[in-house]
Amino acid sequence: MGALLKWSAGVALLCASQAAMAATVGPVTDDLGVIRIAKGAPIQIGAYWVLSGADTALGLDEKRGVEIAFKDVGGKLLGHPLKLNAEDDGCNAEGGQTAATKLAANPQTVIVLGPACSSAATPGAPILWQQGIVDICTACTAPALTASTRKKEYDGFARTVFSDAEQGKADATYIHNVLKAPSVVTIHDGSPYAQQLQQVMADNFKQMGGKVLSQEAIAPTDVDMKPLLTRIASEKPDLIYFPVFTAAAAQIVRQARGTPGLEKTKLMGGGSLLSADFIEAAGPGVVGFIIGYPDLSPEAMGQNYPKFVDEYKKAYNEAPISGYHANAYDGAMLAIKAIEKVAKTDKDGALYIGKKALRDAVFAIKFDGISGPIACDQYGECSQFKPSVLEFTSSDPKTFGVGKNPKKIWP
Amino acid sequence: MVGRYIARLNAVDVVLWGLRVGVVAVVVIGTAGTLIKGRYNAAQWFDFVMFGLTIGSIYAQIALGYTMVYGVLRLINFAHGDIVMTGAFAGYFVAMPLDRSGFLEDQPVVAMAAVLLVAVIVSTSVAVLTERIAYRPFRRVVGLAPLICAIGVSFFLEQTFRGMFGSAVKSYPDPPWQRAAFHVLGFNVPRIDVLVIGLALLFMGLLYLVVQRTRMGTAMRAVAEDGEAAALMGIDVNKVVVFTFVLGGAMAGIAGVFYAFVYKQVYFLMGFTPGIKAFGAAVLGGIGNIPGAMLGGFFLGMVESVGPTLFLDGIGIPAPYQLRDLIAFTLLIMVLIFRPHGLLGEALARKRA
Repeated sequence: MGALLKWSAGVALLCASQAAMAATVGPVTDDLGVIRIAKGAPIQIGAYWVLSGADTALGLDEKRGVEIAFKDVGGKLLGHPLKLNAEDDGCNAEGGQTAATKLAANPQTVIVLGPACSSAATPGAPILWQQGIVDICTACTAPALTASTRKKEYDGFARTVFSDAEQGKADATYIHNVLKAPSVVTIHDGSPYAQQLQQVMADNFKQMGGKVLSQEAIAPTDVDMKPLLTRIASEKPDLIYFPVFTAAAAQIVRQARGTPGLEKTKLMGGGSLLSADFIEAAGPGVVGFIIGYPDLSPEAMGQNYPKFVDEYKKAYNEAPISGYHANAYDGAMLAIKAIEKVAKTDKDGALYIGKKALRDAVFAIKFDGISGPIACDQYGECSQFKPSVLEFTSSDPKTFGVGKNPKKIWP
Repeated sequence: MVGRYIARLNAVDVVLWGLRVGVVAVVVIGTAGTLIKGRYNAAQWFDFVMFGLTIGSIYAQIALGYTMVYGVLRLINFAHGDIVMTGAFAGYFVAMPLDRSGFLEDQPVVAMAAVLLVAVIVSTSVAVLTERIAYRPFRRVVGLAPLICAIGVSFFLEQTFRGMFGSAVKSYPDPPWQRAAFHVLGFNVPRIDVLVIGLALLFMGLLYLVVQRTRMGTAMRAVAEDGEAAALMGIDVNKVVVFTFVLGGAMAGIAGVFYAFVYKQVYFLMGFTPGIKAFGAAVLGGIGNIPGAMLGGFFLGMVESVGPTLFLDGIGIPAPYQLRDLIAFTLLIMVLIFRPHGLLGEALARKRA
């Protein structure tokens, strides 16, 4: 009897604590808490991207996409100015953890955009979700982040960019069916993005009947690739597939051309390399180098994409410097639409946003974005993928331009 | 005798012996397995060795800076890798206009001399300023403060260059004469590798002569042996310390240009990794010992280049190049277990004793 009483008391306490988690502030009650924004105070939207180092173009391009989205809604939402608190994550796990912790520590962070790199998102998203903050990623493509097997701690994570489960399959299709290369060697740098993408490509390539001779690995800071490339040359592959980041990929491109036995071996990289910085770093060897990428041609994008590009050029006096600006713009628009849908204003002009309601709104909203239709599945995958392969045509960084250098060669 | 030794073994000894036997077994079995497989031809083995000698010669030059400063001041100058970076950047800003004008292609000897000269001037100036402004106030401070100061200087240099020149990777010129190769006995010998190894040996030889045969070099060795006694004998210790930083800075500038000409990239963090590895090389050779630093550099370069293939291919470990730092530093630890003062450090230690 005593034990039963204790058990009942325990259950009651548990129920009480669950109920206590639901907070009511002003006119809003929400299970995960409510953010109150005083009259005239800004709606603070957090962000983390790579904003320094060799991959800066990747993150800066996305930041600009978000800034244009804010401008397109007049810089205000429901009478409150929009404020972007952007952190630099350095495109690595430590940076992602630090940036997410900083953003999560700000009680006024309504929602977070970014990052560009899966390495940063993998530790960053759970830290944010622990505080009930939704993270809309704008370029991190590692399949595990939106896989059906993902852990509960990623429940607050969604992305307006495709999964590399699609990219890897498309790359394998191109290598096997178009290039008709019978054998490949892959190289990754241990990052979730590179490791998972090369694995998906390798698995699909094997299923199609191709031969994966070996799956090599490097450290992102490696500079001397010659011993590795000499080792690979002994296997005589038709193609080397290395979806790694700018500095290491540029070294592979440079050093492969001078490695005996690899003179005719085709080189293929991934989506992190679409920038003028990569052309500068890779030098003359970049000509003829190909990367798998989502199709950015106007006919494959949403109907407002050309207008966006004009706005981008006008705002920053240059064409887009990388390839995920449209995904970032759509991510920002998704956040804005979700806030609009759930926010409530009291008679004093203060704004109230329920965190769980915001998460549900992000996962429910559907619209035609400039990167294509946006509609999230239950695991946070909100984007659709159209494959393409791009080839670099010149080693002059000034010639960089999506569609020109590199130019689309497939489909 | 053996029985008595075994009886005296404690748990730490057992672990150390286990480690030694394990590493030797991996090396022997792996090497035998790789050679039996016969996957690589002679030209490829030759290439592995050349790559190792090239990066090793650069590590050796950088290691000299660590070892000389340690010898004189007992300070680990963690900013030394970043002084290499300053030299590489200075060389870049000379090499690029020379390349654009075609001078680097038409007059390679004069152009390379100009690039090296400017790099040496800049890196030496930075090294001397670092000593004067940051390290000298800590000269008599006991404890970790000088080391922390050196780490601070490292961050300061990195972030200053980042602020001045941006964080993107800059590409060094790649003239055709550097891309060409000599063909000797059927082997392919890249010209840039020969140049880097040859000049590195020449400059290290010159530095050795300066330290061994000049009055200032003798004073440097005297300060390294016993600073207070040297001061009592009338040696100006400040001058000797500045001279040490001049020599180390000059070698860092040369190493920075060579590193950038081989790997073609400069950016603000480029000095960190080679700096750490060169420090490992200096410890391996026997920190404070100049020939030891050179030997340590070449050893580390060779192990990094040849080791993964030679030791791990034969035992079927996939992606062995991911483990190259592990192999290099495991062997470093092994050497230090057998010879705690490093490869050539014992003579110096005995002399001091």
